[in-house]
Amino acid sequence: MTRNTKTQMLLIGLAVAMLGLGFSSKTLYDTFCRVTGFGGTPQIAMNEENLSVVLDRKVTVKFDSNVSPDLPWEFKPTQRAMEVNLGQTGLAYYTAKNTSDKPITGVATFNVTPTKAAPYFVKTECFCFTDQTLQPGEEMTMPVLFFVDPELDASERHSDITEVVLSYTFFESENQPQITAAIQLDALP
Amino acid sequence: MVAISGEDIPVVHDDHDEKPRFFERWFYSTNHKDIGTLYLIFGIISGLVGGFLSFMMRLELMAPGIDIFTNEHTYLVFVSMHGLIMIFFMVMPALIGGFGNWFIPIMIGAPDMAFPRMNNLSFWLLPVAFICLMISFFVPGAAEGNGFGGSWVMYPPLSTTGSPGPAFDFIIIGLLAAGFSSIFGAINFITTILNMRAPGMTMHKMPLFAWSVLVTAFLLLLALPVLAAALFMLLTDRIEGGTAFFDPARGGDPQMFQHLFWFFGHPEVYIMILPAFGIVSHIISTFSKKPIFGYLGMAYAMVAIGVVGFVVWAHHMYTIGMDVNVKAYFVLATLVIAVPTGVKVFSWLATMWGGSIRFTVPMIWALGFIFLFVVGGVTGVMLANAGVDTYLHDTYYVVAHFHYVLSMGAVFGIFAAWYYWHGKMFGYHYSGFLSRLHFWLFFIGVNMIFFPQHFLGLNGMPRRYVDYPVEFEFWNQVSSWGAFVTLASVVVFFLVMAEAFLMRKKRKVGNNYWGEGATTLEWTISSPPPYHQFSVLPRIDGGDEDHAH
Repeated sequence: MTRNTKTQMLLIGLAVAMLGLGFSSKTLYDTFCRVTGFGGTPQIAMNEENLSVVLDRKVTVKFDSNVSPDLPWEFKPTQRAMEVNLGQTGLAYYTAKNTSDKPITGVATFNVTPTKAAPYFVKTECFCFTDQTLQPGEEMTMPVLFFVDPELDASERHSDITEVVLSYTFFESENQPQITAAIQLDALP
Repeated sequence: MVAISGEDIPVVHDDHDEKPRFFERWFYSTNHKDIGTLYLIFGIISGLVGGFLSFMMRLELMAPGIDIFTNEHTYLVFVSMHGLIMIFFMVMPALIGGFGNWFIPIMIGAPDMAFPRMNNLSFWLLPVAFICLMISFFVPGAAEGNGFGGSWVMYPPLSTTGSPGPAFDFIIIGLLAAGFSSIFGAINFITTILNMRAPGMTMHKMPLFAWSVLVTAFLLLLALPVLAAALFMLLTDRIEGGTAFFDPARGGDPQMFQHLFWFFGHPEVYIMILPAFGIVSHIISTFSKKPIFGYLGMAYAMVAIGVVGFVVWAHHMYTIGMDVNVKAYFVLATLVIAVPTGVKVFSWLATMWGGSIRFTVPMIWALGFIFLFVVGGVTGVMLANAGVDTYLHDTYYVVAHFHYVLSMGAVFGIFAAWYYWHGKMFGYHYSGFLSRLHFWLFFIGVNMIFFPQHFLGLNGMPRRYVDYPVEFEFWNQVSSWGAFVTLASVVVFFLVMAEAFLMRKKRKVGNNYWGEGATTLEWTISSPPPYHQFSVLPRIDGGDEDHAH
């Protein structure tokens, strides 16, 4: 192998590595957002072990809703805002209504602002974890169970946080119902 | 396959100017000078196409109301194609492919590029890519009409669900071809510069143009594969029922495309300007009759710009809803780039300081470059601030900023190089009067176009609209008159070429027609250079007299 070929192979390797990095960006970006809360990605916990401590400090959680133009649904939070103590579990409701004449499955994405609060915003139960199917004209009330991690109080950088906005956007899911059977929500209070 | 290679052609040792016949010479070409010429011709042609598109835009914007275009979509197609063509098919081929191919091997004392046949592939991928882009004009794009109107940034969902027609698929294929062309070119340049320097030419004695192309080639090699990946993802996202990398309804994230795009896109702007830095350094040094001030600082400033250029991409995305701390980082990192750039500007000034300056044609282009690049750089420092940028984002202020660094920075660099090396490439000189006329018309024209756009942007006129309220009419009109002046300068440029060609017998030039100040290796060989130069490698003597004192 000549010196030029060696250099060439090395450089091709570099380009291929960058191409690989580009293609794996989906996984990397997802993981990065989930771990760091980057871009307002809230945390998800399936148990409530952190709830032993409840602090006096309060934050106001505001609720926001959006619907994709392709989805003929009405989607609104039942309450505009709610005050919770750090560590206290909050239960909020959203209502969704299918205004079309056929059953439609929707799926929601979620986001927390200010984005720096996201690593401390923990959802234990949410309608956004699964697809939701609504029959024509059906209206459904959907719960969100969440708490704000008391660790937030320990961070200097988060001392200015008094409000957190939780936002959902409903999109049409790619798994549309084949048969007109309502899928029940997971049992929740 | 027709194999035309060194082994098949009888080597004529006593006559180095033995050239292959026309078709073989220009279509199977493996000679770095011929490929460089092809790149330059290609750059001029695409420059005309891209310039035509922008001229139509300026005609449209001359008065409020929709006058020239039949609908907004077609206007947006013109905007998008102007950007893509000027970046990928004019500036890059001219600076890197054209002057890089022509002069990198000569400047470092090499007989040719490391991989001459790959060089041929690099070039011929470009016309293919360009044809794909041209086809996209005439096939359905969005519901509103033919062509792709999603701007050169190609953000989804406009480029996925928003442009269902095949127009954007042609652009993707064209850009992938252009991207691979550049990657092959980059591999070629890096290998040539690292391995094929003449004996005695250490990295620290290498001409600054070679340094600039080396850094540029590394940026290409690291940035373009990311663009290729992002384009592939767009392509599969566009298929009905395909992937959902950028579709939030199916777990994707459109912001990820912006991150990927600008991770490529920001180094891309340095890819376009760094070779011009190298060229301007040589010109300033030649016509000040002084070695460049702070040679090592100049070389490593370019390396620093290249490295930092990879970690500032999100300053193009301040308005997507970023955490304030993330913004703070990107503001700081972006402002840091002003330091190595300042090193370069002040070193150019220091080179001229106390030099015996000659205001030759390439010198006035180089001085124009420095002046206009600094104007664009200063508005860039302003835009780097996230708070200011929130106000100015996507206004004409941004348009003015990047045209000052690119349409004036990079293009002035191209013309400076053209007039500096014209005699070397073609063997004859051009008319001093006509080329100066070209400079002044172009200088006045582009400033007339883009300086008023600062005012428009500060007053809140957004980019990429076919129409505007009557309040913006005056400066838009001035800007459009500037386009006419620039058009006149383009005509003069072709007159310069034609006149020089007609007078070629009378204006023959020698080896070193610029005299004492021109010290790099291309001035030691004939003008035009022999078809194969340096069959005996030049030897660069020890001692650092070129730059150390």
